[in-house]
Amino acid sequence: MKTFEEKWTAWIDDEMSEAERAEFEAALDDPVAARAEKTQARKLGALLKEELRAPAMGNEEFFHHQLRERIAAESAPAGPRALPPVREAWWTIRRLLWTGAGSLAVFAICAFFVMREVETPDQSQYLTQILNARVDPGVNPNATVSIFQTKQDRVTVLWVDGLKSLPADYAAK
Amino acid sequence: MDTEATAAQADVPELDLVKQAQGGDTEAFDQLVGRYRTRVFGMIYNMVHNEQDAWDLAQDSFLKAWKSIARFRGQSSFYTWIYRIVMNVTIDSLRKKQVRGGGAEFDDAIQLKEIDPASRTVPHADALPHERMEQNEIRSRIDAAIAQLSPEHRAVILMKEIEDMQYHEIAESLGCSIGTVMSRLFYARKKLQNLLRDVYENV
Repeated sequence: MKTFEEKWTAWIDDEMSEAERAEFEAALDDPVAARAEKTQARKLGALLKEELRAPAMGNEEFFHHQLRERIAAESAPAGPRALPPVREAWWTIRRLLWTGAGSLAVFAICAFFVMREVETPDQSQYLTQILNARVDPGVNPNATVSIFQTKQDRVTVLWVDGLKSLPADYAAK
Repeated sequence: MDTEATAAQADVPELDLVKQAQGGDTEAFDQLVGRYRTRVFGMIYNMVHNEQDAWDLAQDSFLKAWKSIARFRGQSSFYTWIYRIVMNVTIDSLRKKQVRGGGAEFDDAIQLKEIDPASRTVPHADALPHERMEQNEIRSRIDAAIAQLSPEHRAVILMKEIEDMQYHEIAESLGCSIGTVMSRLFYARKKLQNLLRDVYENV
């Protein structure tokens, strides 16, 4: 099914069969205006054909020469010097694998030392907890109270430092 | 269609030249270029309205043709095939310029809004100018009017009116259907008639 535009164009260019033309013209609302339109389109075509003469191509020989040069450049076999340097991407698969393995190794070593630090025999076997309590500054401002706790033996030691004797009424606050 | 071949060159059938060029014979391709050089240049010039651009685009078109001539199977005429390359190169260039320039859109839908398909373009008597325009002024008017068309509409109207190409040849050159060609011709003519009615009525 042709659109109106296609039929109109075919009618303007006389590209319709006689039957198509008769059918198309019979369907026109205003045949007189349509024929005037057709005349205008023909005038437009004649104007374009008459006026749109391209300027003569100057120096045609140079056009051919330039084209031959470009074709030669395109067709020239690429020698070693003509080849662009192959730039290897740093992130090759192999390097990525090695980098990943190295990172895992560094992580494992660090983790080993961190875990080892906790169990270092040089360190106190006590879990020391400094109580957040103050000794009465009136008695001794430098006095401290600490609790040492041995997890394995389940023993807790109260360490009081800075006091000659523990007051009878002393209580850690 | 006229060609630019010299008498000696004209003796060689075009298809033979094509086959020789497909075999890498640059001289044969040079002869093919000689046959279509001026028409290609003229067609591009009427599309872009600039001699230097037309020269460069003609060069690009022929170079592209050389690079892809091995793919020419002879299913269409050589000139239709080369026109397809020319149109691709030229329309692509115009579109790039359009994007850079940020000008009006090339869109059928917009043109549908701008032009009433049933509009009359018969000039009114009072619209006629009193003096005949100079030749260069006429050319400028035509160029300016064509510049308002989309690249595809320009191509269609020029191939039809200047090159006298058939609908199917235009369709092959542009890689679209015959219906699309006819539709584009309709709108291109309407637009040009609206813009140039005083010109063609007085020339």
